[in-house]
Amino acid sequence: MNANEHPTREEDFDLLALGALEDDEKKAIESHVATCAGCALKLAEAHNRIALIGLASPPAKPSSEVKARLIRQIRAEAEGKAPSPGSVKDEASSAREPWTQWFNAVLIPVAAILVFVTVYLWRQNQIFDQQLAILRATVQEQQDQLDEDRKVADLIAARDTIVVPLAPQSGMPQGSARVVYNAHSGILVYDGQLEKAPADKSYELWLVPATGNPINAGVFNPSTGKTSHWVIKLPPGTIPKAFAVTLEPAGGAPQPTGPKVLVGPLS
Amino acid sequence: MEEALQDSDAALIGRIVQRDETALEALYDRYAGMLSSVLNRILHDTQSAEAILQDIFCQLWHKASQFDATRGSLPGWLMVIARNRAISRLRHRNPAAGEELHESMAAVPFNIENALSQQQLLDRVKRALEKLPAQQRAAVELAYFEGLTHTEIAERTGDPLGTIKTRLRSALETLKLEMHS
Repeated sequence: MNANEHPTREEDFDLLALGALEDDEKKAIESHVATCAGCALKLAEAHNRIALIGLASPPAKPSSEVKARLIRQIRAEAEGKAPSPGSVKDEASSAREPWTQWFNAVLIPVAAILVFVTVYLWRQNQIFDQQLAILRATVQEQQDQLDEDRKVADLIAARDTIVVPLAPQSGMPQGSARVVYNAHSGILVYDGQLEKAPADKSYELWLVPATGNPINAGVFNPSTGKTSHWVIKLPPGTIPKAFAVTLEPAGGAPQPTGPKVLVGPLS
Repeated sequence: MEEALQDSDAALIGRIVQRDETALEALYDRYAGMLSSVLNRILHDTQSAEAILQDIFCQLWHKASQFDATRGSLPGWLMVIARNRAISRLRHRNPAAGEELHESMAAVPFNIENALSQQQLLDRVKRALEKLPAQQRAAVELAYFEGLTHTEIAERTGDPLGTIKTRLRSALETLKLEMHS
């Protein structure tokens, strides 16, 4: 049949209402009914007639809680606390539907575990980051030390490098030191031991050039019994006539002002 | 509530439109048992049946203004909705939007607004079904309570498709005559 034809048999309406027709048969009648008031009435009658078959079902009484939930639901919706009509799922049905049960039983624990794992991994990552930063700093420190050692090794190996011992002066804090210096590169290495400087005082190493003013080569405050050691690069080409350590105001001075503590003249 | 229980469906619908909860409760008390029976028969799952039952009355609360009681039967409308929803859930499909609302809206009313008239109608339906030959009745029940089509019933029973069609047509013709007698 097409949309202009009435169903050939009256039972077709009942069969449609019953849901027994196949899709193509169903659509054909529905298309016609949409344009035919008489057949629409017959279909409505059929729906009511077929609906009655359900009355033959065994009696079943819903629990009293259903009615109570219904009233709570419509009140909650009136207060804007619940979903809009059409998508309404009462508290019981939403908890009871298979997908909801599955969600509650599986997804919520899984989500909780994921949150826990995420937080754990995040914290672990923070710890690893901190450890990595420490390792990088250590590597950098070792790299710096290695660079310095190479400079010292290069310095010592160079033919024009001089080693100058510094001798203590009478009446001054006692100690000893040596300076390794290469005028060509300007690199100077200090290595020595001195008593702790008096309060408000610092030791200062000077390169005393053949001409001109002494050049500051490092300010230091050694701990008792500890070796002081550093590498410094001075202006290349400076020819020294001596090295000296003086006692200066704390933090050092631009030019020597205090007494000589160690002195190392070049012969 | 006593007063509400004696009101007609049309009057109660009118009061629901005015947001009268007692009217909804009265209709619930009147038809929840009937709907619960068919829902449980189709689903065999009390919890799902109760969830649908609650949802149907919630829909009635929200869409009461769209129901014209002078043109159709409220219990018929509710029964169609209940069956459609139960079959949809049973077969894991969604009812077409608005489908439920329009079905049976222009139906010829049948009055079962009190327990006595419900029981009388129930007796008539039972008598009509009992008059059907067993195979015809089985075919009707497979279609009604399980939502099976001709083809699916034929597959289920192993009978030829033509035989199933004939059985169903005969059964429906008999039911129609018995229910209107």
